[in-house]
Amino acid sequence: MASSSDVNSSADHTPGIPESDSAPDPARRGRVRLRRAAVMAVPAVAVAAALAIMTAEGALGVQFSISGMPFTVTAKSLDGTGFEQFGDLDSMIPDSPNAGDTGGQVLIVTSAMKNATLDSLCQSVDLGGTNLLIKAGSGSSKVKASDLTTDSTELSGDASFNNIEIGNDASTLTKAGVKGKKGVFSQQADTVHIDNLRQTNYATTAGVFKLPGLKLSFSDSGC
Amino acid sequence: MPDSPRQDVRPAFRQWRAHRPFWGGLLLALGGAEILLTEKASLKVVMHIGMQGLAGYLLPAMMLLCGLLTIFSPGQRLFYSIIGILCSLGTWLTSNLGGFFIGLLLGAIGSCLSFGWLPDQEPRRGRRQRRKEARAAGNVQEAVQP
Repeated sequence: MASSSDVNSSADHTPGIPESDSAPDPARRGRVRLRRAAVMAVPAVAVAAALAIMTAEGALGVQFSISGMPFTVTAKSLDGTGFEQFGDLDSMIPDSPNAGDTGGQVLIVTSAMKNATLDSLCQSVDLGGTNLLIKAGSGSSKVKASDLTTDSTELSGDASFNNIEIGNDASTLTKAGVKGKKGVFSQQADTVHIDNLRQTNYATTAGVFKLPGLKLSFSDSGC
Repeated sequence: MPDSPRQDVRPAFRQWRAHRPFWGGLLLALGGAEILLTEKASLKVVMHIGMQGLAGYLLPAMMLLCGLLTIFSPGQRLFYSIIGILCSLGTWLTSNLGGFFIGLLLGAIGSCLSFGWLPDQEPRRGRRQRRKEARAAGNVQEAVQP
């Protein structure tokens, strides 16, 4: 039954397309041949699965840069080196659905860390109705992030700093390589340890995120 | 039919679609756009991270371009679909796990559809119709034989 059409398909392998001639027979049209699509789909699925497994085992780092929508991050504990924190103003795109009564601008605290290790990371993005949950690092190996920069509106936890300098100008920070605006209050420290971390973020950027034990799921409740 | 241009548009669009991997290209372009939407880090931060941060934008932009080019220049669809699938898979590493997986899925499906597309195929027939045609052919043979 498929033999006749298969003969046709092999004859039509030439990439030239009868685009210019205005369709001699309107019934004949381009079509997806499933077996041909499978030639690409099977290796693609295999590679995607391999990537997901390697990420879940922590062998592969992934990059994050999210912004424009609020999301929550929680972790049992965080250890960071090269810590900076300063205030800033984040602007949303015009007519953003997330603007609410804020007028499109949010006052945020930018925290930057050169290197961070997080225990039991949980991240949830509200997609209107359901939440996308990303959990990682609950096992023996922890989540590692480098060049982590977060813009948060809320930040809570039990923090302890080492070698902290409070009251620097945000444009003179040196510990994590990110600089704020001139004349803004800021602080920086060599190391930081935060227990029961909870952040509401508007933007996160991480150079490399290693997420061992990654679990991606949809849920009714956030973190 | 120049007097009714609005009625003319739909069959013309259908005809235009028939000569290119339309859905494959559209899905690939949508996937790239979705990933770009999820990451809007400020340029300053991207510059700070450097090459790696740039790749996060480059790959979905390539997906978007490949998707559009698949639609508008279907002759090169094999090349575009291969670049598209590589970029789609690469976004898992560079761009928010492939736009929280949604964009990666769209891009992969779109690339595979573009890759599997062939021009100028027989019109699709349902199983029932095929059986009916076979029966008709059988009847003809019987009629011819005696």
